[in-house]
Amino acid sequence: MDSFYYVNIFETKGLEYLLLMIFLVLLILLVRYISPPTEKKKRF
Amino acid sequence: MNNEVTVRDESKRFIKFIIQEMKPRGKWLTPFNIISIPIILLGLVILYFRFVYGLGSVTNLSQEFPWGFWIGFDVVTGVAFAGGAYVITFVVYIMRVDKYHSIVRVTVLNGLLAYMFYAGALVLDLGRPWHIINPIIGNSFGLSSVLFLVAWHFLIYMTAEFVEFSPVIAEWLNWKKTEKFVKSLTLGAVILGISLSTLHQSGLGALFLMAKPKIHPLWYSEFIPILFFVSSIYAGLSMIIFEGTISHRVFKDLIDPKSHHSFDDIMLGLGKGAAITMFVYYFFKALIFIHGQHWTLITDGWGLWYLTEVIGFVLIPGFMYAFGVRNRSLSIIRIAAILSLIGIMLNRLNTSIIAYNWNAVVHYIPSWQEFVVTLMVIFAEIWVFRWIVTRMPVFKSSH
Repeated sequence: MDSFYYVNIFETKGLEYLLLMIFLVLLILLVRYISPPTEKKKRF
Repeated sequence: MNNEVTVRDESKRFIKFIIQEMKPRGKWLTPFNIISIPIILLGLVILYFRFVYGLGSVTNLSQEFPWGFWIGFDVVTGVAFAGGAYVITFVVYIMRVDKYHSIVRVTVLNGLLAYMFYAGALVLDLGRPWHIINPIIGNSFGLSSVLFLVAWHFLIYMTAEFVEFSPVIAEWLNWKKTEKFVKSLTLGAVILGISLSTLHQSGLGALFLMAKPKIHPLWYSEFIPILFFVSSIYAGLSMIIFEGTISHRVFKDLIDPKSHHSFDDIMLGLGKGAAITMFVYYFFKALIFIHGQHWTLITDGWGLWYLTEVIGFVLIPGFMYAFGVRNRSLSIIRIAAILSLIGIMLNRLNTSIIAYNWNAVVHYIPSWQEFVVTLMVIFAEIWVFRWIVTRMPVFKSSH
């Protein structure tokens, strides 16, 4: 019977995928941060 | 007969105009002239010794360290700094972002001069400089060599940049028909220039691919070409911010009022571009670091040096750019530009000199003559730049 074991993300590409996901999220946040704030639509 | 007289009159007028333009303008005793003239003269004396008695008479180069400061700084770093020209022409002519039109001419001029002087400095470093023409004339093309690609790209790219800049020369000479013709070539030259830039910026990185055993693993990667290309984008943008700030002060009388007003917006736009590119570059570095499992390498002095480069001169200026853009602070953007330029310098020098042959017993340290000649090249470029902008309509928009 196979025993359960944890995947070592240092040995697999897990850490690289994790970094890529963090990158994509942070890139969106960065673009939002440096973009000029859009004017809110006025309600009449 | 009448035609002959017109041609003769026109030739006379042209020669008179050129002689008039060659005369120096403005004050002679300026701080820049006082510093630069002795250095240029000393540099010329050193170059005399270099060409008469060989490289060994003025440099600390050896068989173990055949590439020194002239290649590492002048060529490898200088070309990255010149990256602004292809980035701005891409933004203006391909993306059609009109905001940056007013800086196209000066940026192209900077790029063209940087290539002429810094890539030209390659001649100084060749043991047999007359062989530089070999890849061009076919006397041993060296088709499988990255240097073959770099040599041809430099040559064609300089031609493309000259074509991009030639409307300014035609306008200066008041050659209307020529101006119209060369303007029609601009878009083609821009597309060719961008294609060549992406290739030779990365090509300069590819030069180091064959030196795997010699470069410290923290700086060596099979992705060096991509790293060199991406970093050249923010290096170019930072250089435009740095040079633009100085030019805006020194040549303020030559800049038309419209450009004066849009200057802040342009700087903020460039800062935004630099922030995003640095962020991407930083993550590339992180990804390569993790992929190469370099954890154990950052515990010694080399590791600390690597972290200084990547965190101190990539991550921090990247954040400063973002913060400066968000808060519309030009002073923060300018400091970020200087830090980024230092970072690029460190990266290129680390790859080509400092971390090159890192485990050798005797290490290469450039001689004072190498520093003086490098300063001479920089000052000579500034002299030519100043001569051109004070005579030609460089600070005018290219519309």
